[in-house]
This record gives sequence, C-alpha cells and structure tokens, in this order.
Amino acid sequence: MEELLEKLLEAVELGKVDFKSPYPPQLKGQDGALELTIKALETGVGPQQILENALVPAMDRVGKKFSENKIFVPQMLMSAKAMGASMLQLKPFFTSGEIKTKGTFIIGTVKGDLHDIGKNLVAMMVEGSGWTVVDLGVDVPSARYIEAVNNHPGAIVALSALLTTTMVNMGEIVSDIKANLSTTKVFIGGAPVNNEFCQKIGADFYAPDPQGVVEYLNRIAS
Amino acid sequence: MIKHSIRLHPLGKELLVNDQTPLIDVLHEFGIEFPCGGKGTCGKCKVRLLAGEVETTVTHQQKLGKFGLSPDWRLACFSQCTSDITLEIEQFNHLILADESEFGFQPQQGYGIAIDLGTTTVVAQLIDLSSAKVLAVETMLNPQVKFGANLISRIQACLDGNSPEITRIIRSATGTMIELMLKKHPVEIHKVILVGNSIMQLIFSNCDVSPLSMYPFKTDNLGMKTFDPEELGWSFQVKDKVKFYPSIGSFVGSDILAGIAATGIHQKENYTALIDLGTNGEIVIGNKNQIVCASTAAGPAFEGASISMGMRAVSGAISSLNLVEEKIEAIVIGNTAPKGICGSALIDAVAILYKMELIGMFGEINSGESQIHLSGKVSLTQKDINEFQLAKAAIAAGLTILAKNLSVELSEIETIYIAGGFGNYINIGNVIATGMIESQEERIHKMGNTALIGAKMFLFSDSTITNAILAKTRHINLEGHPNFQDIYVDKMLL
Repeated sequence: MEELLEKLLEAVELGKVDFKSPYPPQLKGQDGALELTIKALETGVGPQQILENALVPAMDRVGKKFSENKIFVPQMLMSAKAMGASMLQLKPFFTSGEIKTKGTFIIGTVKGDLHDIGKNLVAMMVEGSGWTVVDLGVDVPSARYIEAVNNHPGAIVALSALLTTTMVNMGEIVSDIKANLSTTKVFIGGAPVNNEFCQKIGADFYAPDPQGVVEYLNRIAS
Repeated sequence: MIKHSIRLHPLGKELLVNDQTPLIDVLHEFGIEFPCGGKGTCGKCKVRLLAGEVETTVTHQQKLGKFGLSPDWRLACFSQCTSDITLEIEQFNHLILADESEFGFQPQQGYGIAIDLGTTTVVAQLIDLSSAKVLAVETMLNPQVKFGANLISRIQACLDGNSPEITRIIRSATGTMIELMLKKHPVEIHKVILVGNSIMQLIFSNCDVSPLSMYPFKTDNLGMKTFDPEELGWSFQVKDKVKFYPSIGSFVGSDILAGIAATGIHQKENYTALIDLGTNGEIVIGNKNQIVCASTAAGPAFEGASISMGMRAVSGAISSLNLVEEKIEAIVIGNTAPKGICGSALIDAVAILYKMELIGMFGEINSGESQIHLSGKVSLTQKDINEFQLAKAAIAAGLTILAKNLSVELSEIETIYIAGGFGNYINIGNVIATGMIESQEERIHKMGNTALIGAKMFLFSDSTITNAILAKTRHINLEGHPNFQDIYVDKMLL
C-alpha cells in the first residue's frame, strides 16, 4: 500500500500520466498516475489518503522545483496532467463528500484579458494542494466572481492578468467584490502585477508564482 | 584598437570601425541585403572597391571569378576591413528582391521615400524612381522606445494620456530622417510610403489604439492612412499624399503586407511561409489561392530584451556561436570583446548546449547550476533558456496552427523565409535543431528587411498588388485554437 502511494507520488511528480504516455523517458513501460490510482483504490487505499499522501506531496515538490527554476512550464503541466488523471478517479469521492478539501478557491482571468496559461497552472497547483477549484475561465467581469462566491460561501477569489493594459481592471473588480462581500479574500497574480500594486488596489495577497499561492493557502487552512 | 574608416558611395556615409570588422556587420544596418545569408552563393552583396585595400582569400577569388567580376570587386559577406576604404554599393543600383530575383519596375518621374517604421528600428531610403537606385539611407532607434520596448507598453503609454506626444515624436523623427537625406540630395519628393505594424500605423496616424488594449483586441480601423506633409509637421513638400499602408489584421500590419509582396507568396503555386523573428513574431503561410497570417507574441527574447545579457545585433553582440572540437567559439559583431548576446547566437547557444548535453529536453541545465558560461564575460542563465523556449514555442506553435488552418503539413511548405534584424546571422541548422521551425535546411532562406523591400516595391505600383494580397489573406487568432495551450507547451521542449 505504501509502495503504491510512493509510486503514484513519483508518477505525478515526474509527469507520468498513464501507461502509454512517453513522458518522462525514465518511466517508460511503467504504470502512470491513472493505473496507480485505480490499483490503489482497488486494494482499499482510502481516497483521502491518496490525495493527502501522494497527490498533495507530489504537487508540493513540483511547485517548489518550479519556484526554484529547477523545472519549467512543460514539466509542471505534465505533472498537472498526471494529477488530473488521478483526480478523475477520485471525483466520485469528492462529489459524495468522502474526501474533504481544505476549502474552495475561485480563479479567473480578469475582464479584457484572454491569457490563461498562468491562471491554469495556478488552478492545477491549488487543486493539487487539496483545495476545490472553481475555474471561471477568461474575460471574467466582477459579477461572475461575485456570483461564484455566493454559490460557494467562504471561498477565496483569485484574479489573473497578463497585460499592463488589463491589470488595471483588477482594481475595479477588487472594489466590486469587497463592496458586495466585504469578508472575501482576494488574491492577485500575473506577469505585470506586484505586491505594491496589490496593496494599492486593496487586494489581500499577491504571489509571484503558483507555489507562493499554495503556501499562503496552506497557512490560512491550518 | 586600430580603427579604419569606410566611406560608402553613393550614400556619402563615413563609418569608423575596428580593425578586421566584417563588412556584413556594418553594411546590413543600411538596409543592404545579404540574400544568401553570407554564404557567398548569390553574389548580391558585391561592392566595388574605389579606394584602399581589402584582402581576398582563395575561396573569395574563386567566388569573384564565378560571378565574372573584375579585380576591383569584393563580396561584402567575405570581406573584412583592414585599412581605410571607399566602397561603391552595387546593390543600391537595383532593387533586389528577397528571393534573390530583381524586381521589374516601371521607371517613373521623380523621387520617392520608403520607410519601415519598426517598433524598435526605423529605416528610410531615398529612391530615384527613374532608375530604382537607392540614393540615401537613414536608420534610427524608434524614439518611442522611451515609452517601453514592446507594443503593449506603447498602447499603455497612449492610454496614460501620452498619445499626442508619442505620435508627435515619431512624425518628427521620420521627418528629420527625410530632411537628412534631402540635405545630401536636394530633390523634389513625389511619394512617401510608410509600412509598419498595426499599432505603429495607428499611433503615427493619431488614431485610437485602445480597442487593441483588451478583449476582443480588435479594431476595424485597418485601412490606408494618407497625410499632407504639413499635418505631420514636416517642412518639405511631397507631390502625392504621404501614405501609410493598410494593416492586414488587428495585430498584423503593413510591414507584413510588404513582406508578402517582397517574397511573392501571393503569386506562388506552392505553399510558402514568411516568419518575422521580431517581438511580435508574425507568421504568414500561403500561396496564390489563399494566405493566413498571425502574430505570435514571441516576446522580445530574439531582440535580446528579456535575456540577462541580451542585446540587439549591434557592435559587441555575439552574433553566432560554433562548436569547434568540443569548445564553444564566439563570433562578435564589430570584432570587439563580447558584451552580450543577440538573437541569432541565442539560438546557437541553446542548440549547442543541447547537443553537448549540458541542457536537457526541458531546457534544464543538467549540472543543476543556475547559468552556463559561453564566451568572455557572457553567460546564459536558466531563466534565459526558459525565455528562449517561450519565444521559440510561440513561433513553432504559430506555424503549426496556421498550417492546420490551411490543412497542410509543415513538410509540404516548399519555401520558408526568415526576416528580422539579425536574420543574416542566423544558423538555419541550429534553428531546426531547437525545433523552432520543423522543416529541412534547404527549404529555409534567410532574408533581411522584407518590409523595406516591399515598401520600395509599393513606390512603383498602384494599389493593385496590395488589394490582391488583402483579398486572399486571413488574420488568425492563434490563442483561439482549442488546443493552443497543449501545442504551445509541447513546442517548448527541445
């Protein structure tokens, strides 16, 4: 049992999605996250255990390596895909409530902006750290963030923007959210954004990379 | 270091260069083209030595013999400056097409000005319309760079209320360039034609750029803009209206329209591609039936801007790197100590480091260190390699998605032209090795400034060519492709 979880952790960390996946070369011919998760469930490993003892630590390692420039976007995405393959098997347990997540994290690229790779990476990393993620997509106006928080009371909201011309919309969205839902925490991120801008527009938290978001979320959750 | 002067006839320019500076390093800045990319196979960069000495190697002499040139001729791409010299630039006696054929022109009365208004560099040439000879050339850094290096920063500057100033300085700069050429050749100007990307056109024309600042990133204001010299603040007369040519799409401008004209994609039977390796990384694929184009947001890596020791292809930049007996050797523009690295050598560096197994398929430095030494004081960091991967993936993904759009395979594209400021220095084998262009070496051709060549062609034609091109060209939004993210990330691999 321990061994299965350890293998799953390795498969997710290195981005081995399933048996037939050619990545990474050193795991060729071995089971990927998909098969290992099915086997773990079959041998009676609890879904919560799979999440907490394999997926979360794997994505934590991935996030740290990305943050230290040790891996780049492609490896991170492969790991996220491997995690996604595993999560799909765990989905019924999330729906039934058998798996408890740490909370709900709502994320979207702000109104006026279409860039979503950075937002997607953050969403995957946060999901991999044991949170429920609600992804609102791109070009998201204030009303849709607010609607999502109303559907998921207590959720944290994260705004993403890639361009200097669209990051200005973050200010307006933060104000709108705070005016309607004063206790909601709002995070911001994206290439042109920094901590100074975060404070200026009255957002609660800024992180320069996905790992920063995950670490802060874990501090809140504990 | 010993310096020599190079006088350029008929431009009336005098340059001061270091001993043993290759002529290709100093001449390409004046809009001189090296169609074969410095291999000595086309003979188009021939110059006549009017005074001074330029030594020739045996290979060089054989090449001159092959082209039937008398002893006073040199191929600029094979020559170095070792004494004070005066050169006549043969190329400016003819308009030269990027595909190595000359442009058949209808002689006209008077004189014209062609301007390529780039985000970073502006080039202007004064042309005798009766002979198509280039009489004078001016180049300058776009003064708008003080508002930022990339297009989004220029748009931002306009939104921040700098719109009148950013328009004024570029109108004034182009006016000054023309005046400088007129000082040497006091002639009456009949035509002025400008080409540039869509944002450069809108800013020059004092039009609203805000629709391009956010979703849906679209403007309908793409058409040709015409001006009287007075409204541009120019103090000289122009017989016809000053024309800034129409854009193809919201992010693909008349510089690419000119590039299509220069490469003749719209007339080709087989699929042909044009890739401009600049910040916007525009890509065109098409033939005589249909053309698709897109801008790729390659970012400024190829222009050196996001690379820790990156710089443009100017003196002091490493222009290429070669692997000689397991050691990396650098060639530096202007034959000086290396100060940084330009786009062409960045491609070389990644290809060579991957071949030497110093970096892996994900771009990771295998030793685990944060940087790799290249030459002199110049190193490449892990982040630089990642920036390169983003840029090359943008190009590779763009090519893939455009080809899919036409339902052709990349292998079916018969000719691929590379344009860009450092195009002459590019090692095509290395471009292929990095996976940026998935094709064969013999199909890829380097070129210089296709925008300027096209603008010169426009001086001799009415709007028939541009209308014909615009009618069959579609602008594609790459990020709208459902698999964009997967394709883009996949192309980041080496």
